Amino acid sequence: MSSSRTETLVDVTMPQMGVSVAEGTIVAWRVEPGDRIEADATIAEISTDKIDTEVPAPVSGVVAEILVPVEETVSVGTVLARIAPAGGGAPVADRPPPLDGVTAGQARTETPSPSKTGNGHRRYSPVVQRIATEHGIDLSQIEGTGRDGRVRKQDVLAFLESAAAEEPPLHIESPYRPEPLAPAGDGGGLSRIRRQIGEHMKRSLDTTATCTTWIEVDMSRVEAARARLGVTALSFVARATIDALREHPALNAWLEDERYTRHTEVNLGIAVSLGDDGLIVPVVHRAHELSVEGLAARIRDLADRARARQLTPDDVRGGTFTITNPGQYGSIMATPIINLPQVGILDLEAVIKRPVVVTDAEGNDSIAIRPMTILGLSWDHRALDGALSAQFLATVKRNLESVA
Amino acid sequence: MPTLTYLQAISAALRDELRADERVLLMGEDIGVFGGAFKVTDGFIDEFGPDRVMDTPLAESGIIGTAIGAAVVGMRPVCEMQFSDFISCGFDQLVNVAGKMHYRQGLAVPITVRLPSGGGFSGGPFHSQNPEAWFMHAPGIKVVAPSTAADAKGLLHSAIRDPNPVCFMEHKHLYRRVKGEVPSGVFETPFTARVARPGSDLVVMAYGAMVTVALEATEDVDGASVEVLDLRSLVPLDEEAILDSVARCSKVVIVDEANSTCAAGAQVAALIAEKGFEDLDGPVVRVATPDVPIPFSPPLEQAVLPGVERVRGACRELLAY
Amino acid sequence: MATHTAEPAADGAAAVEHLTTEDRIWLLRAMLLMRGLEERAMTLYRQGKVPGSFYDGYGQEAVSAGAAFAMGPEDRLCILHRDLAAHLIRGVTPTRILAQYMGRATGITGGRDGNVHFGDRHLGCVGMVSMLPDMMLVATGMAMAFKLRGERRCALTWFGDGSTSRGDFHEAMNWAGVQKLPVVFVLENNQYAYSTPLEKQFAVDPVERAAAYGFVGVTVDGNDAEAMFEATRAARERALAGDGPTLIEAVTMRMHGHAAHDDMKYVPKEQVEQWRKRDPIERQEARLRSLGVDVDAVRAEVKATIDAAAEEALAAPMPDPATAVDGVFCEGEAEPLGDGNAPWSGFTRSEAVA
Repeated sequence: MSSSRTETLVDVTMPQMGVSVAEGTIVAWRVEPGDRIEADATIAEISTDKIDTEVPAPVSGVVAEILVPVEETVSVGTVLARIAPAGGGAPVADRPPPLDGVTAGQARTETPSPSKTGNGHRRYSPVVQRIATEHGIDLSQIEGTGRDGRVRKQDVLAFLESAAAEEPPLHIESPYRPEPLAPAGDGGGLSRIRRQIGEHMKRSLDTTATCTTWIEVDMSRVEAARARLGVTALSFVARATIDALREHPALNAWLEDERYTRHTEVNLGIAVSLGDDGLIVPVVHRAHELSVEGLAARIRDLADRARARQLTPDDVRGGTFTITNPGQYGSIMATPIINLPQVGILDLEAVIKRPVVVTDAEGNDSIAIRPMTILGLSWDHRALDGALSAQFLATVKRNLESVA
Repeated sequence: MPTLTYLQAISAALRDELRADERVLLMGEDIGVFGGAFKVTDGFIDEFGPDRVMDTPLAESGIIGTAIGAAVVGMRPVCEMQFSDFISCGFDQLVNVAGKMHYRQGLAVPITVRLPSGGGFSGGPFHSQNPEAWFMHAPGIKVVAPSTAADAKGLLHSAIRDPNPVCFMEHKHLYRRVKGEVPSGVFETPFTARVARPGSDLVVMAYGAMVTVALEATEDVDGASVEVLDLRSLVPLDEEAILDSVARCSKVVIVDEANSTCAAGAQVAALIAEKGFEDLDGPVVRVATPDVPIPFSPPLEQAVLPGVERVRGACRELLAY
Repeated sequence: MATHTAEPAADGAAAVEHLTTEDRIWLLRAMLLMRGLEERAMTLYRQGKVPGSFYDGYGQEAVSAGAAFAMGPEDRLCILHRDLAAHLIRGVTPTRILAQYMGRATGITGGRDGNVHFGDRHLGCVGMVSMLPDMMLVATGMAMAFKLRGERRCALTWFGDGSTSRGDFHEAMNWAGVQKLPVVFVLENNQYAYSTPLEKQFAVDPVERAAAYGFVGVTVDGNDAEAMFEATRAARERALAGDGPTLIEAVTMRMHGHAAHDDMKYVPKEQVEQWRKRDPIERQEARLRSLGVDVDAVRAEVKATIDAAAEEALAAPMPDPATAVDGVFCEGEAEPLGDGNAPWSGFTRSEAVA
């Protein structure tokens, strides 16, 4: 409220003489501009609904200006005059700012964007819409058994179960469908699973605006913690990624044609190699609820079942983000392809000991040997920008470098 | 494990606390020589003496106010209002002195106020009330409402050991009608909700005497799988358990024996509407006593209190939605 | 019905044997500090630094100074809004009091409650609520605990003439009388409850109600700090001996309005003038001067203390809005009230005196 001109001047304001008093009237000024006044001496006489009283000067100094004339009524807090402080000590602090409306500690839940309601005249409840969106179901196809033919949650779930028997999974194909007869010809060519993976990858590159960003991470604390817990570095990267997705929810989303949907839950896909049969991406559903050990256990279970060909269609559906970890063969960086319709995929390569520069608390540099890795994030430029991708990676890095 | 009535469980908890902690002091009208209007403290004066099982003057404000004084100099008073209805005479002390003291002055007030509440036996307007909502609305006061004998004991132990003012809503109708296995010795039940019966098609949320009504009403509703969630703790309200039931069942019926407007169930409904919206497959339905003083004559009283038929009917309708 | 006005002379004589000169200077200092702090706070209020309302006990300083001075470290106090001297005697610093008025983070309540609605629990004081006289029951309860545990200590509370019309006054008086509790009830009869004079408040002199509830009631000159001290000391002795409560009616006059926004036009000017001649501070100063004490030096020391406190308090930060919803519940162990200062020389002499 004060301009540079009044920076050294002290305000004299209309006081509040009682909780319900809102204004006051100047009855008389005891000073003129240019007069000297001592702190606490009366500078003006005022009248309010409750009481007539005097206003004492807040500081000693010289009256610089008088802003409200006699007989004028102003609100409580209005500046009446200004004093240039001099010789009487430091100017008194301004009136402290009022309390803001309190929202501290009251976290708000995110309301996800509403999904299509299908046919105009039919209405769908929140849970029905949510399940339909997650599984890509056209609700107009479903018979409702609720009141007046309403589609109930049970109806959607029943539809899913029956559909599951016929429809292929949304993402990477299950390898358990029977192979058609081998194509005639040279006995070579790509297997059906290989072709399907290829089509999915090609479609991703054709549809998305894929960019890749990398970041270096010091894995010392992760290495120490995982030795203690007996789990792989992937589990830590998974947990760090989940936390980063909660902080940067733009990356935990789907982009299908024009429809962009952010998810509050993190269903984390983990790419598993099936050797000659290619790869498959089972999903850790509600991964945000799991600790590092929990994630390790689930990933191990999914990988085992993947290789034993025991995954169900539900195991490969609903992923909101994917991590790929080809293993410790020594490769250091990659340009992973985004797993449609997600908008981001994180690649974890080898952890290799390198000499790095470390700075101590006093700012001295030295060389230390640290286990380092490079995390690569491929992301869809249609949905987000490089700055956000970099921030996301920085958060993952921070999370990994501060593991307890 | 012994089987006790709800009332015996409360007596057992009080007895165990008096034995375990010399700071515990019972205060109330007619609780000493007479053993209490409902005989909860029958025989206590012989073991603990008139100083620790205190017959107070007829002064609810006095009981709460002096309990506050005793609490801030190191005692653990457990006050009894002879009927929960009479807490209105001590409202000022409870809400303005006890409830606000820690926030304002950093001074804890570890009192417990036992409130025999509820109707169903022609008690009339002044002996049948469920006043918990008044105190859910007052900052600084915790409110719990057990529905089983085991919870009556465990929650009372927790309430007495809590450093804050706690209203313990003990339902008079359950005193001798509810029996159950109750562990011996001191055990503390946390201020959380409890799934009384798991289910998946619909959940009935209730507390106090209404839990028994809910269980009976939903034993068989056309074969549907109906969950019953016993809220148990009203302040703090177990948001996680409530939203978890909503996520699994998607249809909710909330039962209040208290008068409908601004009852505990209204707060639960608002919570679900805000945070459980995405999981709902139907409107949040409330079954509550209408906004009338509880009448005395049996046909009138039965017409207003939520009974098995009304709860079952509401569930049936919502299941079909 | 009229209220008594106690004769000063007799009480003044009795006090002498229990008070050293140092004690009597303490009483003056406490009153000067109270008046000086309240005057400074009133100025700050008019400068917009003190939010809300402001209450003072101008002209009544002896009621709290005298009574609080008789309280031992283990005794417990429920202090009201015109009893600032009690806080000062127990050990609350002037800086914290001014910070409290200005709603700063370093005030006793950290900005959670305003003006004199505070009580430092570490010093054995319970912060008042606005519903009067609720604190009478709290003091009664504290005394009840002391008696149950067989402890030689008492509780004391102040309350005003107006508050004796409410139910809690009667519930507390009755309870204390029935259970014969070690509690001292100090009724500050300052002639007005806001604008309501005594004749609209009660049909009998309230000191007579003590007998109705089964215990002793005494009327004391509320503007004589030493008489207040002596009456309270005797009441405390009675309490510790197991002889039950005392009602002390301290007759005084509220010389300012009910609060800063009240100019008390309803009080006849002659009444104010009559009481001005009986100012408690002037009377104590006269006493001390006749004993050869350098009263001006005491005044100067008090002024310097207040100036320093104001400067420090004005520099204190406002509370952080992010903490506004914290502390509703106690999360750890419930800590009982702590002991306060008790500067009366009688507490450091042998137990026989106390």
